[in-house]
Amino acid sequence: MSSRRKVAVVALGAVSALVLAACGGGASTGSGGSTDAGGIHNASDATGGVIRMANSGDWDSLDPGDTYYGYSFNFARLYGRSLVMFKSAPGKDGATLVPDLAQTLGVPTDNAKTWTYKLRPGVKFEDGTVVTSKDVKYAVERSLDKTTFPNGPTYFNDFLDLQGYTSPYADPSPDKLGLKAIDTPDAQTIVFHLKQSFSGFDYFAQLPSTMPVPQAKDTGTKYKEHVVSTGPYMFKTNDLGKDFTLVRNPNWDQATDPNRKPLPDGYDVALNVNADDIDNRLQAGDLDVAVEGTGVGPSAQGKILADQTLKANTDDAATTRLWFSVLNSDVKPLDNIHCRNAVEYAMDKTGYQRAYGGKTGGDIATNLLPPVIPGAEQFNTFPSAGDTGDLAKAKDELTQCGQPNGFATSISYRAERPKEKATAEAFQQSLARVGITLTVKPYPLADYTKLYAGKPDFAKANGLGIIVYGWGADWPDGYGFLAQIVDSRVIRAAGNTNLGIKDPAVDAMLDKALVTTDTAAREKIWADIDKKVMSDAYVVPGVWTKSLLYRPPNLTNVFVSDGQSMYDYLAMGTTRK
Amino acid sequence: MAVYIVRRLIAAVILLLIVTAATFVIFFLVPRLAGATPDDLASRYVGKSAGPEQIHEAAVRLGFTDPIVVQYGRFVGGLVFGRDYPTGPTTTYCPAPCVGYSYITQNPVLLDLLNRLPVTLSLAFGASLLWLVGGVATGVLSALRRGSVFDRGAMGVALAGVSLPIFFTGLLSLSVFSYALGITAPGGSYTPFEQNPFLWAYDLLLPWITLAFLYAAGYARLTRAGMLDTMGEDFIRTARAKGLPERTVVVKHGLRSALTPILTIFGLDLGLLLGGAILTESTYSLPGIGKYAVDAIVNNDLPKVLGVVLLGSIFIIVANLVVDLLYAVIDPRVRLA
Amino acid sequence: MTAPQEVTGSDVQADPEAVTVGMGRDIEGRSLGQIAWRRLRRDKVALGGGIVIVLLILVAIFAPAIVAVFGHDPLEFHYDQVDPDLQVSPGFFGGISPKYLFGVEPVNGRDIFSRVVYGARISLLIAFFATLLAVLVGTVLGVVAGYFGGWVDTLISRIMDIFLAFPILLFALALVGIIPDTAFGLQGDALRIVLIVAIIGLSSWPYIGRIIRGQTLSLREREFVDAARSLGARTPRILFSELLPNLVAPILVYSTLLIPTNILFEAALSFLGVGIRPPTASWGGMLSDATHWFQIAPNFMVFPGLAIFVTVLAFNLFGDGLRDALDPRSR
Repeated sequence: MSSRRKVAVVALGAVSALVLAACGGGASTGSGGSTDAGGIHNASDATGGVIRMANSGDWDSLDPGDTYYGYSFNFARLYGRSLVMFKSAPGKDGATLVPDLAQTLGVPTDNAKTWTYKLRPGVKFEDGTVVTSKDVKYAVERSLDKTTFPNGPTYFNDFLDLQGYTSPYADPSPDKLGLKAIDTPDAQTIVFHLKQSFSGFDYFAQLPSTMPVPQAKDTGTKYKEHVVSTGPYMFKTNDLGKDFTLVRNPNWDQATDPNRKPLPDGYDVALNVNADDIDNRLQAGDLDVAVEGTGVGPSAQGKILADQTLKANTDDAATTRLWFSVLNSDVKPLDNIHCRNAVEYAMDKTGYQRAYGGKTGGDIATNLLPPVIPGAEQFNTFPSAGDTGDLAKAKDELTQCGQPNGFATSISYRAERPKEKATAEAFQQSLARVGITLTVKPYPLADYTKLYAGKPDFAKANGLGIIVYGWGADWPDGYGFLAQIVDSRVIRAAGNTNLGIKDPAVDAMLDKALVTTDTAAREKIWADIDKKVMSDAYVVPGVWTKSLLYRPPNLTNVFVSDGQSMYDYLAMGTTRK
Repeated sequence: MAVYIVRRLIAAVILLLIVTAATFVIFFLVPRLAGATPDDLASRYVGKSAGPEQIHEAAVRLGFTDPIVVQYGRFVGGLVFGRDYPTGPTTTYCPAPCVGYSYITQNPVLLDLLNRLPVTLSLAFGASLLWLVGGVATGVLSALRRGSVFDRGAMGVALAGVSLPIFFTGLLSLSVFSYALGITAPGGSYTPFEQNPFLWAYDLLLPWITLAFLYAAGYARLTRAGMLDTMGEDFIRTARAKGLPERTVVVKHGLRSALTPILTIFGLDLGLLLGGAILTESTYSLPGIGKYAVDAIVNNDLPKVLGVVLLGSIFIIVANLVVDLLYAVIDPRVRLA
Repeated sequence: MTAPQEVTGSDVQADPEAVTVGMGRDIEGRSLGQIAWRRLRRDKVALGGGIVIVLLILVAIFAPAIVAVFGHDPLEFHYDQVDPDLQVSPGFFGGISPKYLFGVEPVNGRDIFSRVVYGARISLLIAFFATLLAVLVGTVLGVVAGYFGGWVDTLISRIMDIFLAFPILLFALALVGIIPDTAFGLQGDALRIVLIVAIIGLSSWPYIGRIIRGQTLSLREREFVDAARSLGARTPRILFSELLPNLVAPILVYSTLLIPTNILFEAALSFLGVGIRPPTASWGGMLSDATHWFQIAPNFMVFPGLAIFVTVLAFNLFGDGLRDALDPRSR
């Protein structure tokens, strides 16, 4: 997931610390606490009431073409319909794609280079206008304009055969639909033409950027002030940065929508609310949902774990997020694989886990792919007793590297993230045991990938040998997790998310996976990439994250979905009328 | 008088220009000197996978490629005349005084500031009322009973008050009163006054008290000293000799002249506070100007920072002006020249 | 801005207590210093503050020795002291015990006592040097403005106005945030300390500057200056030999009172995340970390907070006493 997506809240909070480790995760389920997270809590189909949500930060944007937070993808389904969506269902079921605006999943032709969707008839915007394939095309077109909408993912930019097209706002054709890569032969049909074969295009079609936007109502950067709804709810008020409310959309028709069963009459969402306050209000019953879905803060975690009644109302949802650190081979002596191996062996992984909240915060990761991603294999390239590190092996590797007494380097992390700070300090302590001394260097979160750790020149010049980072899949799938962090060809002058994994063999395997249409064979390749990266010792995997989610007793139909790795926001209801 | 005010206003405008120019220098010139190019600066405000051309386009759109003087001129122009902003399909006119649009959220900064001002105003209003009343009353009583147990106790507490950082008293009071005892609102609570005045006061009670505790100390000490000074003056003796009741002497004669310096400090403190109670708002997570400022800085969102700096400086300057004018009214010896 | 307490000039000579205290029998023939020392000795509270200051300085200097005897290395982790699920010490009030006098930090179990002791070094070091810088700049510019008057005075006074109208904390935040890793041949803690000293010092000089300007203005008109001038003394001589000695008292008093302000300023910067970098211990930084934990680990917040309080209070008490003792009106 992009750095944007992770920036989340963080802005908020006092510079330092009033910030939780933010972020929307990609997807997945898990069970935790004393509850069965695989099932539905408080199943009910009673309608009415208003669900109260709060966000400790703010959306990157409510505009479906300009958003990249996991919770935002989850939430956007309330006010918009994309071509395809993740099924609103508990557990693994929630990670399956179902057609939403389209009648069926995409139909690939030309070796998966062309994808065709047929829209359901009778879908209307909130003002009663009928949705056509042109509205979908226009929505995708505008999302390509990254100077106007910088936040969203760039899959369409990367895969569509753009032929130089940049933006409908710079489009000379009168209807602003000049993009050749998308055809709309009739009002119900939309055809996507890709530059290269891609077997997983349905994952792109579920992005909010395929939610239709009526061109006449498009106000560019101001569209987020009133997004025109196609879903069961529409915006009633929207006070930017403060709060907004959703009410039922009279022009949404249940007959056109098999995926949604909207229970409450509306949603009240408060923004920029202090994270600790959100936790307290949830427990006091003054609030229903912490919308970011990243779990409670450390104080609340301590209180909940110590109280069985509270604990019974939680789910410890496993996510597709991995907290890891990159060993930067640009920085000597880490260009030598033995020195990297030494770091791998010397690190006390339990310290990493503690930094992220102990067992409740996640499991110790031994490789890249989070176990909830289909096809992920678990293996340990650098085993040690109790995961506390193997100092003898580490010293041995140091000797082979020609640095028998250790060496000095730096470790960078995002200053506003207390957990990353704790991680950096844990590294410092662990590695000191074999004589590797670390200088701790915090950088502002907002510029971490743009100006500092994600800028190879800077990282090299400043000797950032270890870069603390984290990544969540954009969707629960090997491509969604790996593509942005291990492909060496995506490394740019700045703004990188691959912070130094450079192996041509890995790149070749990625290419092979893209054209492999057999799911099992493709999943095997993802696992092989994982193994290769680990044996290169480019990454110290830390923690496969879990989020401790609290659900007040008045919420009905609550479940964690693998597609969202948090509570599914389409299904919930409330008993509080 | 009119000439004086006009002169002061001109000086104030110049001061504002200097303050905002300094902000520009910090955000543009300093990074430039450190080696950042306009494209580097712009790369913060485009998507994660923007290519060099897109970044450059953004730099041009945001005006980073122009000399700093030109950028600054554009900012001042927006303040005075308003300016146009591209929104994608069209441009939107941002009327004067246009503080600009956030680089990141694209929200108009002025709207943001107006949204958050009530929080900071509420905080400053309640706290200043508390500390003014509490501080002055304590000061007067201490002065009248100089050397008594009350005097020494009050002065001790006062010294303790100025020695406590608000982010410590804030956390401490939250943990005791809000979380352990549950009698005050938890951190981050704020209810607008027009929504529910009672809840408004309840939510802000703790921040008010901690903030007032910090300031009241200074006022108590100042009042006490002023009172002791004036109570020894001839006109007090005259008043007493006239047979006026002691209360009249203290309140009408003593306190009045002791209050002049208090007013000065009060004006300045209030001005500073309105410019952003950064630490208080951070500690209690109140969505006011101070917290907004911190967020803006963390995200390098220059238009927001400029907005806060401008607002803060205006408050300080206005407070100074009002204090000086009040001075002239209260004390005819002060000549406005 | 709420953090740095303003040192205001208005309560400068306002304490009449001082007038009476020193009216001893044999007051003639004593130097100002002697008089002040006599008065200070009688002021138990101020003396108490002074003793605490001396103790704190000793703690800062001998931090390694103190920690070796009563604590642990301030950077050393003690996972065994922390519950791996709750992430805090299961012991009494954050794990207070004879081995861990103030308990341990959540997550990593570092010894809070040792970190508070080491934090004194950062706090005092930065506050002292920042004050020194402020006093140097403030005195020079204040004397120049007050002595020369005219456009020089106008210029310097306006500059002071501008500094006072700046939301200083905001600027400090912005500035410290963009400072590079290595500069001026320094790096790491050393660079941070120098920068923070510079920022605090340069933002607090106008408080001293105003007072010194005022004092110089009144001294300039005094007979002994006129006398020196008519005897043909040149400007530098008048400044250094005649004016400066008379300014020593207010400079001393206001530096003492500026130190606690600067301690609070440094703590505020650290609290907001732009102070000294981890894992180096600082009081403000510890409080900042504690914001997430104070509900379940109050000791993490209480001890660094108390350390700030005691230090600042001691300086305020001593500074107050010093002002009374040196009050020019009691001469």
